[in-house]
Amino acid sequence: MSEVDMAVIKPEMMKSYIWIQTTDGAIQQVEQEVAMFCPMICQEVIQKGMGSSKNYAISLPQRVSPAMFSLILDYCRFHQVPGRSNKERKSFDEKFVRMDTKRLCELTSAADSLQLKPLVDLTSRALARIIEGKTPEEIREIFHLPDDLTEEEKLEPLKNTTDDPRIRLLNRLYAKKRKELKEREKLKNVEAEEDLVDDRSVDDLLSFINGGDGDSKGIRTSKNKKKHRKRKDQQKCATSNEAIEMHKKESNAVSSLCHNAEVDHELQSSLSETLRLQDAAEIFAPTVEFDEVDNDDEIDPALKEEIDREVEDFARILNSDWPERMQELLSLGQERRRTHLSVNGNGTLKRYGNANAGSIDGNKKDCIVIDVNSHRSMFDVNQREGMTFEQMLSCSMQLVFGLPRVQFQLAKYMIPQTRLCSA
Amino acid sequence: MLRTASSFPEEVLEHVLSFITNDKDRNAVSVVCKSWYEIERWSRKMIFVGNCYAVRPEMAIRRFPELRSVELKGKPHFADFDLVPDGWGGSVYPWIAAFATAYPWLEEIRLKRMVVSDKSLELTAKSFKNFKVLVLSSCEGFSTDGLAAIAANCRNLRELDLRESEVDDRSGQWLSRFPDSFTSLVSLNISCLGAEVSFSALERLVGRCLDLKILRLNHAVPLDRLANLLRRAPQLVELGTGAYSAELQPDVLSNLTGAFSGCKELKSLSGFWDVVPGYLPAVYPVCSGLTSLNLRYANIQGAGLIKLVSQCPSLQRLWVLDYIEDIGLEALAACCKDLTELRVFPSDPFGAEPNVSLTERGLVSVSEGCTKLQSVLYFCRQMTNAALVTIAKNRPSMTCFRLCIIEPRAPDYQTLQPLDLGFGAIVENYKDLRRLSLSGLLTDRVFEYIGTYAKKLEMLSVAFAGNSDLGLHHVLSGCENLCKLEIRDCPFGDKALLANAAKLETMRSLWMSSCSVSFGACKLLGQKMPRLNVEVIDERGPPDSRPESCPVEKLYIYRTIAGPRFDMPGFVWTMDEDSVLRFS
Repeated sequence: MSEVDMAVIKPEMMKSYIWIQTTDGAIQQVEQEVAMFCPMICQEVIQKGMGSSKNYAISLPQRVSPAMFSLILDYCRFHQVPGRSNKERKSFDEKFVRMDTKRLCELTSAADSLQLKPLVDLTSRALARIIEGKTPEEIREIFHLPDDLTEEEKLEPLKNTTDDPRIRLLNRLYAKKRKELKEREKLKNVEAEEDLVDDRSVDDLLSFINGGDGDSKGIRTSKNKKKHRKRKDQQKCATSNEAIEMHKKESNAVSSLCHNAEVDHELQSSLSETLRLQDAAEIFAPTVEFDEVDNDDEIDPALKEEIDREVEDFARILNSDWPERMQELLSLGQERRRTHLSVNGNGTLKRYGNANAGSIDGNKKDCIVIDVNSHRSMFDVNQREGMTFEQMLSCSMQLVFGLPRVQFQLAKYMIPQTRLCSA
Repeated sequence: MLRTASSFPEEVLEHVLSFITNDKDRNAVSVVCKSWYEIERWSRKMIFVGNCYAVRPEMAIRRFPELRSVELKGKPHFADFDLVPDGWGGSVYPWIAAFATAYPWLEEIRLKRMVVSDKSLELTAKSFKNFKVLVLSSCEGFSTDGLAAIAANCRNLRELDLRESEVDDRSGQWLSRFPDSFTSLVSLNISCLGAEVSFSALERLVGRCLDLKILRLNHAVPLDRLANLLRRAPQLVELGTGAYSAELQPDVLSNLTGAFSGCKELKSLSGFWDVVPGYLPAVYPVCSGLTSLNLRYANIQGAGLIKLVSQCPSLQRLWVLDYIEDIGLEALAACCKDLTELRVFPSDPFGAEPNVSLTERGLVSVSEGCTKLQSVLYFCRQMTNAALVTIAKNRPSMTCFRLCIIEPRAPDYQTLQPLDLGFGAIVENYKDLRRLSLSGLLTDRVFEYIGTYAKKLEMLSVAFAGNSDLGLHHVLSGCENLCKLEIRDCPFGDKALLANAAKLETMRSLWMSSCSVSFGACKLLGQKMPRLNVEVIDERGPPDSRPESCPVEKLYIYRTIAGPRFDMPGFVWTMDEDSVLRFS
């Protein structure tokens, strides 16, 4: 609005007021020059002649609460003074927008309905800065917004699967073994380190994997001396194994893990310890915690040994020829392979054909149906242990195949198929 | 707070979102909730598609109806090293054709490593009335005829940037197709053109475009015409010279020096092909203000080079050949305290013996002296773990570190050890490292370090490194923010890849060439992961003519919501459910 307009309205008076009614019904007087800083109020005064008396008080829009109006008046009161420098104004603005997000939202909305563009820009920018750098979850949290988008609509990068429990467990076990090896290295010399530069890392790996507890952790403390000797043997074993490994096309730690019974034993026993403490269904969920790896005090050692042995046998057979096994298991329909899957002759892992696989869940090619019932009898364990075996089974299969979509029908427990990693 | 959500009108939210321009932030905003999704998609003006095969143009059009600016990338990075055979793909035509009808108001197209035909350029020129920006970075497939169409039709063109593209140079006359009334040009980069352009047309163009800020000439523009051009455009901020050679004549030199003195705004220099050292002093008047100097093609050596660099204390970015040697880098470290980016290119990469005295010491000096250094690309012939550890400790703010020791599998030349420890220190100290290239003798251990420490790493380039699948496993399982992984000539096989298959859906792409990934594993991966395109690139013939355990030549895996593509040449096969049936 121009200075002429101002002069026309109030030619003589030094200070005049405009009558304004806030949304709570209260009517107040506001200094003219301050209120007229808001275009909406300006419009009401000039175009409609409102605000000159109590009866003709200007009603504020609904989005302008009394508290917000007060804030806005502060803003106007400061900025309508002509003499201020840019630096002063900027400094005031920076301090002005320091408030919690809720109030900032209200203020933006109020400023918008009063058409006070500079304040709208100021508060909008402040809100934008709050939003920047945040994840969608954080933004929802801050603004109390619902999570109502479908997965298709999201089209977002997929959740990072280093949360995958298999990978985390594998890494954690490596780290643990490495640490143990380092500690033991301080006690004695390790001959394996004289190998060639290039071989060292593989050798180290095999050493610390094999040099781990041959026995279960529960009896560690009482068997220290024995373990040292055993470790040395294992290392020699590892070295010779390793020499063979190096010549193989697929020499890598995963396959050597599979080939070495001791390793599997160790790995499976750790797994079994961990899994004992969890629900079956949770093995498939990415939020599984494996912090209880060391918490093995409750387990009966004898029972544990028996289970470990079974798993070790199973793992050895399953893992003896990894790529071929993988191929066989995943292609469909050839009966002769059944014998490869038997476990100590006590039971059979049957592979079902398409019919059963199809009845479980969508993609036939994704499913292997394994009936674990038939060898349940070899365990005289309670239900909880039985679940553990299946968990070990599925976990070891996962480790072996490393395939995210291998699914299992746990016939006895009717546990529905769950994808290991959401697509 | 629901009250606030409903009393927050859409226009206000839209206004707030208009201040959010960063791609990642907009992506986050778009998946907050339904109403934000809608507001964001209607107000989105610019999209960046890092892999043109990850999504179909129709999908982009459906979701973002108001786009004004599009950036697309095509071939994988290793195409720069001739590892992607010609004809692989990356044609932009389907995109332009779709945009032509959907976005008549499209203003900007930026492409990198894509195949751009003249037909695409002609369609661009005719379809977008307000077209302003065309950037073709490392593109190919077009000729000067396509450029002529752009020049003739794009009345509001502001930027035409052909950086490092391969252009079929049919005629230099295309420049004259800019009408005489055309004055809007702000940036022109024709440095990649091989043949002459019409010089008079160029002079007239430069003369009438008073807002021209960036001018990068090609080799064919002779030095003696440069002064005239500069006098017509004293407002230039960035200049790329043509060939910097002529018979040394004092009046030409003084004329040129005078012209450079008139360019008070000049901040960036490049070009400098075939330098005659006697003419270097002509640029001295602008050196003190220079923030960017690109001497990548400049065969300046010895004292002349050092003197030039030492005159530029404000330098932030320097690209130079290894003629600078350790001595020059020491001088650089002493003089250019604002340096943030250094690239040292090899002058004779295929020579058997080193032709210059550039060693690890040069990089160490720079890391000591230049406290703002963030990005390094360094070609050299020798390195030590100790030097890398020093470099790592000196400059923890590094975000991009690419070391290229020219000889593959070169060990620490003093201890003959692998460089695992050195690179380990690099990733451990550079907490914000986003891009890393490895070289030298490296075992699986270095990948263990990378997986453990490089949590912000987005792009990793590996060649001739590692011993086993464990190396690849460490990277795929450890690097949470990994986006692009490119590997060549490493002994990585099936296991790590299959064990980490789900990780691949969280990355943009994975390239593996001359590794040990079998055809069987590729099939399996393609079959199991429908949201990945698993492309086998093999010029020896169909992969099923060899046993399944046979390793594939090249493997390019990328996540996509567009499904398998249909424009593949004869040597590329996509592994998916159908192809598995076809092959088995």
